[in-house]
Amino acid sequence: MWRDSLLVAGKDLRIEARSRVGLYQVAPFGVVALVLFAFALGPDRTQMAKGAPGLFWVAVLFCTVLAVQRSVSVESVDGARDGIRLSGLDPAGQFLGKAAAVAVQLIVLEVVLGIGVVLLYGASIQVPWLIVASCVLGTVGLAATGTLYGALSAGLRVRETLLPFLFLPIAAPVLLAGTRVWQAGLAGGTESYGSPWLRLLVVFDAIYVALGIVVFGPIQEAA
Amino acid sequence: MGYVQAGYSIVLGILFLYGLQLVWRRRRLNRSVARVVASDAAAVGLTVDTAGARHADAPGVGRPSGDR
Amino acid sequence: MSTNQHVPAPPVQSRRSLWTTRIIGITALVATAFTVWLGLWVTPPDQVQGNLVRLVYIHPGVAWVALYLAFGLAALASVLYLWPRTRSLYWDRLAAAAVEVGVVFNVCTLISGSIWGKPTWGVWWAWDARLTSTAVLLVLFLGYLALRRVPAEPEVRAKRSAFVALFAAVDIPIVHFSVLWWKTLHQGATVLNANLSPTIHGSMAWTLLLGFIALTLVFVWMLLVRYRIGVLEDWLGTGELDVALRERQAEGAGLDDDEAAA
Repeated sequence: MWRDSLLVAGKDLRIEARSRVGLYQVAPFGVVALVLFAFALGPDRTQMAKGAPGLFWVAVLFCTVLAVQRSVSVESVDGARDGIRLSGLDPAGQFLGKAAAVAVQLIVLEVVLGIGVVLLYGASIQVPWLIVASCVLGTVGLAATGTLYGALSAGLRVRETLLPFLFLPIAAPVLLAGTRVWQAGLAGGTESYGSPWLRLLVVFDAIYVALGIVVFGPIQEAA
Repeated sequence: MGYVQAGYSIVLGILFLYGLQLVWRRRRLNRSVARVVASDAAAVGLTVDTAGARHADAPGVGRPSGDR
Repeated sequence: MSTNQHVPAPPVQSRRSLWTTRIIGITALVATAFTVWLGLWVTPPDQVQGNLVRLVYIHPGVAWVALYLAFGLAALASVLYLWPRTRSLYWDRLAAAAVEVGVVFNVCTLISGSIWGKPTWGVWWAWDARLTSTAVLLVLFLGYLALRRVPAEPEVRAKRSAFVALFAAVDIPIVHFSVLWWKTLHQGATVLNANLSPTIHGSMAWTLLLGFIALTLVFVWMLLVRYRIGVLEDWLGTGELDVALRERQAEGAGLDDDEAAA
């Protein structure tokens, strides 16, 4: 399973490295979103700084949708999906591999967006490990659920509009938890404020990664 | 009290309209099924009674079919 | 002539099942009318809430149906469909019917709750755990229905829908707890008590119970009719195509005969 997952992850990341869709399209979209949020919230810097955690995570969520769409569409050309099914790769490995590839792209994105948030909104990071922990855990959860829903909607022509609608409500707890931890991380809040949310993220991640491992094979059969 | 009346009317109204829609849908589907069964029966030279059972037509009725 | 292709036998509903549905429907109607009469006229206003307590006779009823009965049934049926030993399209059809009726009740829950909330709390909406979870549940239900509308083989559609229901079932408790923490861990959270006064007694208690029963019966009736609709739709999905095919083949056969005769 692990070997297959590394194979699949490597394939997806190599495709990304060659096509640079994430770099040229998804990341700029994220930055544009941050700029638009600034327009929406008005020139008052304190208000923007207060809203920074939430806006960061909303931008991440939207970028996740794009990244997952990309991850799914990569295999929709030239019968690649059938090829993968015939290849005998372990479905659990495929799930972990695709989710890992999405996660890597998301982490890079979050670094970019994080820098953007610090620069544009004047946020100042007081407790870095909270920020990092929330990003890592949140990314795992988003990548896992996104990959699951991407697989579920893989063969559909209405995937572009259906996937966000299906996926975003499921991702809502990550948004909530991530925002709370970031608030603690930016405001220098006590660790006791942030850690219940981190625990929630761990539980969320565990549940959906486990689900994905079990269920990814049957989902693909249904596509 | 106005709130209460509004609440009751809206909730019961929604439930009533939805129930009405269900009944209407079922009736329309029943008619479609009857149509399909009748046309299928006619195509193979049978008639359909009200219970949906198929009976052989009297000779000469229905579409002429060479090998039946 | 063309191949001997009959459409499969039409889905005839047994007299017993038809009459069961009708009787449940009539009982539901009577029970609901009785609840409304009791709720609006017979029972007295509450000491604390005044006339607003009358909404309490229907709001928890629709909420229980939407959140637990409908959604629980849909989740259970979905799991039963996914489990290979119990896999059957009956479960898929039941889940779909439960979700569709559940959406209607969910909307009623949100509306009745909102109408009760405005004079009580002063706001049309409050971001507490229960309300937010109900709203998220509605969105998840709607996603399920949207996915079902995508044309696909029945088994494929059933599997996809079942997974969506499963993921939603897992997510709802998480959302509920997240929002609960969100409100309580945050300093300065307003104390919006969505709980009913536990000391409800007398005619009010009986009306409340009747409300639950009446709305549950309404749900069951709607579920049965919606299930029947599902059966008919599934049958037509294959039946109409077969008839069209045969008519097309018959056209071709007619031409061949003419050509042979010429």
